[in-house]
Amino acid sequence: MFKYRKRVLAASAAIALAAGLAACGGDDGGESSDNPTGDAAATGEAGGTLNYLIYAPIEHVDPQRIYVGRDITNFSRTVYRQLVTFPISTDPEVSNTPVPDLATDTGTSEQGGKVWSFTVKDGVKWEDGQPITCEDFKYGASRVFATDVITGGPNYLLSYLDIPTDEKTGLPAYNGPYKGDGQELFDKAITCDGNTITYNFKKPWPDFPLAVAGLHMMDPYRQDKDQGDKSNFQIFSNGPYKLEGTWSKNKGATLVRNENYDPATDDPDNIRRALPESIVFNIGQTTETIYDQLIADSGDAQTAVTGQRVPPAYYNQIEGAVADRSSLQASPYVDYLVPNFRNMTDPKVREALKVATNAEAWINAGGGEKAYAPAESIVNPAVVGYQDNPAFSGPQEGDPEAAKALLEEAGVQTPFPITFTYPSSETADKQAAALKETWDAAGFDVTLDGLGDTYYDVIQKPNKESDVIWGGWGADWPSAITVTPPLFDSRINLTQNSDGQDYGAYKSDEFNSLVDQAQEAGTLEDQTAALQEADIVLGQDVAYIPLEIAQFYFLYGSKVTGFTTTPASSMYPDLGAIGVES
Amino acid sequence: MTVQASNLESEQLPDPSGAPEGDVSKLAGKSPTRLALGRFRRDKLSMVAFVVVALYILAALSAPFLVKFGVLDPTSFNQELTDPSTGGLPIGKLGGISWEHPLGVEPQTGRDVLSRVWYGLTFSLAIALTATILAIVFGAVLGIIAGFSGGWVDATIGRAIDLTLSFPSTLMLLALSSIGIQLMADILPGTFSDPLPNGAYVVFVLALFGWPGVARIIRGQVLSVREREFVDAAVLLGASRRRIYFKEILPNLWAPILVVFTLTMPAYISAEAALSYLNVGIKPPTPTLGNVLRSSINYSSADFIFFFTPAFLIMIIVVSFNLLGDGLRDALDPKTHR
Repeated sequence: MFKYRKRVLAASAAIALAAGLAACGGDDGGESSDNPTGDAAATGEAGGTLNYLIYAPIEHVDPQRIYVGRDITNFSRTVYRQLVTFPISTDPEVSNTPVPDLATDTGTSEQGGKVWSFTVKDGVKWEDGQPITCEDFKYGASRVFATDVITGGPNYLLSYLDIPTDEKTGLPAYNGPYKGDGQELFDKAITCDGNTITYNFKKPWPDFPLAVAGLHMMDPYRQDKDQGDKSNFQIFSNGPYKLEGTWSKNKGATLVRNENYDPATDDPDNIRRALPESIVFNIGQTTETIYDQLIADSGDAQTAVTGQRVPPAYYNQIEGAVADRSSLQASPYVDYLVPNFRNMTDPKVREALKVATNAEAWINAGGGEKAYAPAESIVNPAVVGYQDNPAFSGPQEGDPEAAKALLEEAGVQTPFPITFTYPSSETADKQAAALKETWDAAGFDVTLDGLGDTYYDVIQKPNKESDVIWGGWGADWPSAITVTPPLFDSRINLTQNSDGQDYGAYKSDEFNSLVDQAQEAGTLEDQTAALQEADIVLGQDVAYIPLEIAQFYFLYGSKVTGFTTTPASSMYPDLGAIGVES
Repeated sequence: MTVQASNLESEQLPDPSGAPEGDVSKLAGKSPTRLALGRFRRDKLSMVAFVVVALYILAALSAPFLVKFGVLDPTSFNQELTDPSTGGLPIGKLGGISWEHPLGVEPQTGRDVLSRVWYGLTFSLAIALTATILAIVFGAVLGIIAGFSGGWVDATIGRAIDLTLSFPSTLMLLALSSIGIQLMADILPGTFSDPLPNGAYVVFVLALFGWPGVARIIRGQVLSVREREFVDAAVLLGASRRRIYFKEILPNLWAPILVVFTLTMPAYISAEAALSYLNVGIKPPTPTLGNVLRSSINYSSADFIFFFTPAFLIMIIVVSFNLLGDGLRDALDPKTHR
């Protein structure tokens, strides 16, 4: 049902899905884990065909445009190798620490994180046998700047790379390889010296290797294979698999072995075991159909995994032998509400909204503890430097009486009309009605505004009528700098035509200066401290109200071996480890 | 005036042996309507269907008052009656049936199922009824005009009917829903997600694609009625077109119109349910039979009672309306034997 923006995934009919990075101290954090990864290598055997069942079409397969957590990990493990990547491990410490992949090491930095360099390994090849060069990495990065063609992907590079910005538009003076304006500026910012690539940034980027490993924006791209927008569904592999035929947006595709991949240049045990002979991405069945098959464990479903969560209506069928094939882990996402600061200008009214919000009813209406865990901040606990936000600690059942008193104090006329905008689905409709109950009791007059596929288009419009807006977010890499700044920094979000990701049009100089402080910090410790303070400011202003952390509850087929979900795979099934019995 | 021979069937005759002499003249005085009613009353199945339909309508009429006085409560949450550890299934057997909740409660929310289907019935029947009336009014008027006028008027209306029927109506309805509902929201009070604009859109579309069927049937009937002497007489006396249409011809069409009505209603009740399933129509939390059905559809194995209730209620009313329609047709037009 929900669409998570960064690592976005839409599935309006069914249940949330999404991705991100992180593990979670949730219920069974370390100990339980059904499949200790170490064993997987021993039990998994090579061969067979693995089916990956997907509900909604994947919007982008182009490395520089992928931004959905599930797709980032799936393609990392199969076709798109990175300079550095996250290893297979259920231990968050290990899994959130990048290891060398196409680079010889995890990178060296100078000038307090403003300059980073990596050396590309010898012997790494594209699927046509040509070596991967430093120039390919440089070209890949240049594509990010073609914001009119390469849309949908992460654009951190635009604000970090040392290229002057146009004062009028605020955009970099380089506009990508297709138009080529300002190419010389780009050539200065990223330089190649033999096999060594050096990135020059205008501000420190202490966690740059995390960003490289967590996203595909820094992936290499071969210039002669680039057809701009037409490359959206093309895969030119450098990993253990390659595309067989073409990628069909509505049906998916099959990946087969890439004979030009040399495991000796990789670290098969820790990154890509590449056990199945082929992997089929099967797109288009509804979540319900997928789970009917997985529960019945018939035919292809025996060798299938999915990134769709079990719908609550199926929970009671997952017992006995079926339960042995299930996996329940906290996701790296947080769902939240934002008040629209254009309409709800009175802090007391926002406070009343927060106090009246019954997150527990929302969770129960969405399926209960197997679907969601409570959240006490917009930052996921798996993120480095997480701390509870004091504004949202304690029970979250909503207190209509206290909220009523706050509304009276504010002196507004009750019932106070508000419109709640959310992406509609059968489950979300119930959850929204659950929130409406306590809000109405507190003296609000709530109109539920459930939207269809155009959700983000609507809520990003500055003239929207919404007063309360649903959002979902996960860190792009395990740092809060990819959570609160992209969501609440008014300077990068609010323009004349769009509110960006700052759906509530939140604007605070105090918060923005703390973001600056975090971004200029040379060390991760300083950065974390500034971000923790920034989150507290957000809590005081009621810039958001956390709802829950989605639980990733998956089922897989009986012939799947080594099933595991890792922080490296955003808690989706980790294709690096999974094999099938033939 | 004598009763037409065709309406005098042996079954209508009273038992000759026990009948007093005067009954023959009484029989002669029975109007076709009374004869039809008599035939209808003897049809047990149709009478049962009639009673069921009447009960449904009574229920639909009473629901808004029952909700107002708190007897029915379709929107309040009772999450304490559901178990979060099972994904929110109702606590207790058979979907949480109890005295307070005779049909159980909805999974995850604990809303009362009886209240939801009862109140939902009101919206579903209101939509089906409005759409049926609109379709019949437009269909009948255009059917009469086409049938009586003939010539190019008939040809034009006939082509319009063909054109409308050849539209892929369901696809259109889905594709145009957001624009259509926005349009309705602009005209009518209420916002994009309020019941009125959404319901009005469904009514509009059902009627838009429903009138051609009615028009065809009516036109066929008019073709035979217009050859009758009283029509010729009215034409010769210089009656206006309007008078001929509505005073001379229309009264002879009540039988087919009634039958079409009773057969269109159930079709639209099912259509509302189907459209709700496709997420077009009145949006939750306002219940309709359709959106209650939609929310129950995944619970066939987890909570069978919850899954079964709305589907069963829809089935009963659709079957009843159909039987009623069949019975009426048999009673009003005894020449058609099945």
